[in-house]
Amino acid sequence: MGTKILYVEDDHRIRGSVKLALEDEGWQVNESETGEDAILSFGRSPTDVVLIDIMLPGIDGFEVCRTIRRHSDVPIIMVTARADTHDVVAGLEAGADDYMTKPLQPKELSARIRAMLRRAGPAQPGNPHLQFGDLEIIPQEGVVSRDGIQIHLTKTEFRLLVELANTPGKVFSREALLENVWGHGVFGDGRLVDVHVRRLRTKVEQDPANPRHVMTVRGLGYKLQP
Amino acid sequence: MTSQQESSISTLSSEHRSVIRLQRAIQVGLRARIVLAVAAVAMLLSVVLAVTTVAVTKNTLLTAREQALTTQALANAETISGALGSAETADLQTLLGSLPQGGSPLLLNAPLTPDSGKRPTTVSVDARYGIDSLPAEFLSSVVQDRNNAVMRFRYDQESLLVVGVALPNSAASYFQINQLGDIDTAIRSLSLRTAIAALLTTLVAVGLGYWASKYTLRPLNRIRDAAESVALGQLDTRIEYADYAADPDLAPLVANFNDMVSALQERINRDARFASDVSHELRSPLTTLNASIEVLQNARELLPERSQQALDLLSLDMGRFTQLVEDLLEISRFDAGAVRLELDAVALVPTVEAAVRMVANTSVPVEADPALTDVVIACDKRRLMRILANFFDNARKYADGATSVTVELHQPDHLGIILSPPTVRISVEDSGPGVPEAEREKIFDRFNRGDQGGSRGIDLGVGLGLALAAEHARLQGGSVWVEERHDGAQGSRFVLELPMIEPLEADDPEDLAAVTPKEAETFALTGQMPAIRLDEASEPTP
Repeated sequence: MGTKILYVEDDHRIRGSVKLALEDEGWQVNESETGEDAILSFGRSPTDVVLIDIMLPGIDGFEVCRTIRRHSDVPIIMVTARADTHDVVAGLEAGADDYMTKPLQPKELSARIRAMLRRAGPAQPGNPHLQFGDLEIIPQEGVVSRDGIQIHLTKTEFRLLVELANTPGKVFSREALLENVWGHGVFGDGRLVDVHVRRLRTKVEQDPANPRHVMTVRGLGYKLQP
Repeated sequence: MTSQQESSISTLSSEHRSVIRLQRAIQVGLRARIVLAVAAVAMLLSVVLAVTTVAVTKNTLLTAREQALTTQALANAETISGALGSAETADLQTLLGSLPQGGSPLLLNAPLTPDSGKRPTTVSVDARYGIDSLPAEFLSSVVQDRNNAVMRFRYDQESLLVVGVALPNSAASYFQINQLGDIDTAIRSLSLRTAIAALLTTLVAVGLGYWASKYTLRPLNRIRDAAESVALGQLDTRIEYADYAADPDLAPLVANFNDMVSALQERINRDARFASDVSHELRSPLTTLNASIEVLQNARELLPERSQQALDLLSLDMGRFTQLVEDLLEISRFDAGAVRLELDAVALVPTVEAAVRMVANTSVPVEADPALTDVVIACDKRRLMRILANFFDNARKYADGATSVTVELHQPDHLGIILSPPTVRISVEDSGPGVPEAEREKIFDRFNRGDQGGSRGIDLGVGLGLALAAEHARLQGGSVWVEERHDGAQGSRFVLELPMIEPLEADDPEDLAAVTPKEAETFALTGQMPAIRLDEASEPTP
């Protein structure tokens, strides 16, 4: 069964050319021209990765992202026109796992998608069972629960949590997390980590404003409080 | 426009700069001019007043003294005149001595005529004065012309008054010499006092002028502060017009200032919007082109040879074109003031090593000062990487690639240490032809490739890389330049200097991001990390 990518982009020339390039990687690409169509399409057929352009007629990329995120933890990559706008943070807040800026370089896009697919696959062998106060993590099964109630995390949030939890108390710099969780290098965008940590906290912490599990270490990075 | 001005300023030679500085030093500020004017007027007035006072007082005192002495001398002369017929010289001496003292009486008991043949007899009660003490003109006026006269003169460093009376019915003359030393002393003392008073008045006037100018210029200071803030990029700065509306002198200035800043702001916003629009418009077709070329490249083997060659050329220039568009957009963002510095706590040496690994095609040694091993500075690491990427790119194009990278700590000399904080210098060396002295500043200008431009084949840059590197550095308070290799070997050494700034301790790592251009400017000018706020865009959305 081939990998299925849902690609939402209103410019048919971009859509057509990127589709060709992605198909060259051996992936199956399902196109959508509008956000509405993308949401319907997502509901109809199973999808492994979603690629969304933010600028869409009708409902925009953020809304598509939020809607899909309500139903699924599928990896989502946002495509923005510029890296220094609000778009990046807004896209990540809307639930995207990663972002890319135009002009898209097909090689880089493929590399990101492959990294996403790896992340979505089974976790590496590690501790079978982790317990931090009210928080319980079973990496192999992809299960996290607080006070016995299962919490729903996206694949990326889960990988981030497990990365921190595998070495409790160790401080991870943003660069290290970017490299280990996203597969980006030292010069990746730290906002990716910050927004995901924030999202993670809203799910695993009793009080996200005063976290007790995912802690910030001044000027250094993040750690999981053992 | 701004950047053109900046670049024209930066091309001024140091001589020009020192001339300007000198002119500034000579020119007197508005405030100083007000103070000087008030002080000058006060000084002039008080000096005139002092001089007049002294002159009038002196005149009054002398006139009174003259009158009193003249009256007395006339009375004395009458007494003497009566006794003259009978008395002998010795008696005359006694007589003169017995006169009411108004000075030193002196009697000349003979005509001083050349034909008399007889020496005149002079009787004096004061040995200090004789007939020779008197001015000759005055003497002849009394003795020969038989006039009564009064005269002030100086003799033997004394100020004297002489009253001369030609005794009636006799050839004799009576002179009475009086000392005016007491009046002189009084006048001197008065002069000193009025001079001090004039000086004090002037000093008070300076103080008054200072206060008045401060008061007068206070509104101008507010305008100056506003202008300064605009210059630093705070384009929403306005001066409260209502505060000045009542002032007919300042109201138009304030209104014009506000209009000017509004126009500027609108223009800059429009430029930024334009850059953003162009950005979007260019990026879409570029995406299509890149993806399509990629698809063709994937099927390269299936193409005829000539088509393969054409595809390779297309690919190569596509890469160049994409880079050009990226660079142009980036530089237009700088021009529009739409750039955002993202300062992070950056472990310097590992970051430089990582950047070099990323941008160098082959492995290039990085030599770091041991003192910098654990140094963490506040810096925009992606801009740091872009600068190094541009240095490496340049070395690839003109010198077969970079040969070494050094990271050094630079302490300014002792004099500079107060003014400039220590810096770090990251240098990229190559062993190419080097950059001639005359080209060293120019190669950081846009679209300037120096003399080497055109000497290579296909892979020439477009000349924006180094200009961008300069902008990236400037934004972080740093600078870039090119110099000769320190080991004297052939080649050039591109240097990036960054201020060594302690990263701000923030509660959240994300707090370290997002600095506005104005803050960046402050940061560049003062070397002080600005207080950093959370980027409003990264506030969690509920």
